[in-house]
Parts: sequence; structure tokens; C-alpha cells
Amino acid sequence: MTITLTANGKEHRLEVQPNELLLNLLRDRLQLTGTKYGCGLGECGACTVLLEGRPILSCQTLAVSVAGRSITTIEGVSGEGSGQHPLQEAFLEEGAVQCGYCTPGMILSAKALLDRNPDPSSNDIRHALRGNFCRCTGYVGIISAVKAAARKMRSARTP
Amino acid sequence: MPNSRLITARFTYHRPARLAEALELLAGLPGARVLAGGTDLLIQIKTGETDPEAVVQVLDLPELSVFKTAGGLTVGGAVPLYKLEEEPLLAAKYTALHEAVRALASVQIRTMATLGGNLCNASPSADTPGPLIVLGAEAEIAGLARGKVAHRRVEMVKFFTGPGTTVLKPGELLAALHVPEPPASSGSAFLKLGRVTLDMAKVSASAYLERAGNSMRTVRLAIGGAAPTPVRALGVEQILTGTVFSRAAVEKAVTRVQESISPIDDVRSTAEYRRLMAPVILRDAILTAWRRAGGEAEE
Repeated sequence: MTITLTANGKEHRLEVQPNELLLNLLRDRLQLTGTKYGCGLGECGACTVLLEGRPILSCQTLAVSVAGRSITTIEGVSGEGSGQHPLQEAFLEEGAVQCGYCTPGMILSAKALLDRNPDPSSNDIRHALRGNFCRCTGYVGIISAVKAAARKMRSARTP
Repeated sequence: MPNSRLITARFTYHRPARLAEALELLAGLPGARVLAGGTDLLIQIKTGETDPEAVVQVLDLPELSVFKTAGGLTVGGAVPLYKLEEEPLLAAKYTALHEAVRALASVQIRTMATLGGNLCNASPSADTPGPLIVLGAEAEIAGLARGKVAHRRVEMVKFFTGPGTTVLKPGELLAALHVPEPPASSGSAFLKLGRVTLDMAKVSASAYLERAGNSMRTVRLAIGGAAPTPVRALGVEQILTGTVFSRAAVEKAVTRVQESISPIDDVRSTAEYRRLMAPVILRDAILTAWRRAGGEAEE
């Protein structure tokens, strides 16, 4: 089946199999390897990407089912510019990364939160990141980083 | 089959645009499975638990995408759970259902998964059936009768027939859920016990109360995760209905929940723990629902 799919603002026309998962299409065919394969069962969130701005699990999504839709992966999180997203800066500054395997999914889930709620509480952040497991950091740095990124994004918005 | 990053099973993919078309496809493909958000079905396909010749994805059907809050709640079978989570009226009026949706898995799952899918997967531990049962919901089921779309309605508690099974016949779809609007003097609550918040419930409790002064005029209670299907705690309901509220009376009545449940040992918990905790969370759900109905519940 032929589908069109927009990934990080770029439209692709692709021949896909009905049983092909979005995860594998992104990683193997579009070389967007920032999206990770973790548990394969919808527990860990390493494969999180944004579908029209909302977090989904690419390892539980048939590529054909997102035909015509728009996907954002970690590679596209900073937009057109070559710089980093405030979340990426904050994750580095706050030491929210150890092995880094969960980080792409974590940042995308956090982005979806901050795009809807510019000033989230710790509980809001925990609720939004409940589906992203980190086995290294203990989450403390991650929650500080999301708060720090929220502050950066709010002050960038205020003229 | 081992879990891997690939789905190796082969199937054809169909994406009908209308309900009639979907039902005709299902009638013509007896080996097909209905695909909504995919968060249960694709794992079952990946692990070889099911091996359909075709999947029929129902996310585009306008008939299954209805979401109305005027004059009672109507939620189409293919409405994703995040829409329920984000509807303020749900939190205010259909509180138990809103709590169950918020407690369900993760943001990613709630973005993908649908209310109909959660019900049709019919896990005994699922979060949404209990609140729908106590809120008095009905399932609207669509099928084909002599080539035309026909609808029937089933009370929510009768929708489930066992672990993973429902009253849906081959070729039928869960079109919508209808929940009557609760009166102002009512309150509801959903509580679950899980190992971590992401998990499915070891045991869950849902309560709906209508208050008349200091009395409980109507009492509906349900337990999840402690029987082959979600069940009503009818014995407890009977004791409490029409009585004056007191914490002591609730504490005493909830012990009768044991006669409604038949828990087992499984990966999530033990039968013994479920028996011990069912009355505890049922009590807490009743007390919370009572407060929400405007009643006083002394500590």
C-alpha cells in the first residue's frame, strides 16, 4: 500500500506493508534512529513520537494507520533551526540524562505537556511522564529539567 | 512467539469510512479482527495470541466518533480516551469514569486507545467498565440484519461474559456508550490498587450514590479485577440502599463484597490480597462518592 507521511515537516511517499510498524519505518527507512525500541509492549515509552503533537507509541502503531498524518520525532523537536529545543538544553543543564536511551521519548512526552500546559506542577509532570521509564536517573533530574525548560519557554514568550 | 520489534504475522488492512461499510467488511471476512487504537490487539498479534487474516480499523467511522455531553453522555466506540480525560464536564458529573480514564496506563496509551477498545478487550482488570456499570450505562451494538445496519442495546454489566469475551457476536461492533446524566444530589468515585500507577488494577472499586438528605437513595457498586468479569456488589448495595449514611454502617456492609467476587492468583496479585483489599477500596470509594454527593462523611 502506498501512503504519504509527514515526518518532521518533510513529506514522504512510501510503499508499506500492512504489518509494518511505524517504529521500523522511521528507524530503518527514514533513518530517524533517535526513536528507540524498548519493550515492544507499550510499557516503557522509549518509542514515543508525536502524532499531530500528541505522544503515541510508534512500536504499537501500524505505519499504514497514520497515512496522511504528521509525525514529530526527536530529530525534529527543535523545528527548522539547527539549535536545540529548550527541553534538550534543560536536560543537559540539569543532568537529566545518563545512558540516554529513554531521553528522546521523555523529551517528546514533555514537549507535548509543555505545548498544552506552560506551567505544570510536579504532579502534572509525573502524570505526563508516567509512560516513559528511565532506569538510570531516578527521575529527579528529569522533573527539574522539565520545570527549567518550562521557565525558559515562558520567558522566551514574554516580550 | 517471542516479542520483537517486528510484527511477523501477515494480514490485510482495511479502513472503512462508514459504519455500514465496516459491517459489510466484517461480514465478508470472518477471520478479521476489529482494530481501534491497537494498544491491545497489536501486542496480541505480535505475540501470536491471535492471528487474524485481516484487520478492520474503525477510527474513521463518524458513527463511532460521536462525543456528546448534552442530555446524558454519549461516547462513540472509537473515541480516544484522551478526549474523555480532557472534557471538564466529565470530571464534574461523571467523576468515576473520569478518574478511571486518568488512571488508565499512560498518556501515550490514552492518546491511542479508545473507550470501545478498552471495553471490547474485556480484561477483568480493565478500568473503564466499573464506572460505566455504576453510572448505569448502556452499550449500543451495531450489526447487520438482512443487509441493513441494526442496533441493539445491552446494559453495561451484561456486556461482559468472561475474560476477553463479550456479548458481541461475530460481525458486530460496539458503536457507542450511553450514560444517563446523574442528578445533582449524586456522586461517584473510582479507586484502583496497582503495583505502580502505570499498571492494570490488582483490584478496583467504583461507587455511585444518590443522596436524599442523610440517606442513600440509590447505591450502585462495582468491583474490577476480582472475578472473570467486572461485577456488581449487589449484597452491599442491598444493605445500604435506602438507609441513613454512617461510616460504621458502610464499614460493616462492605464485608459482604466477598459473596460477589471470586478472585484468582495471577501475575498481578494473589486471590488472598484481592479478598483483603476489595472491601477496603470499596469502602473508600463509597465514602468519596458520598462526599461528592454533598454528604458529610466523618473521619
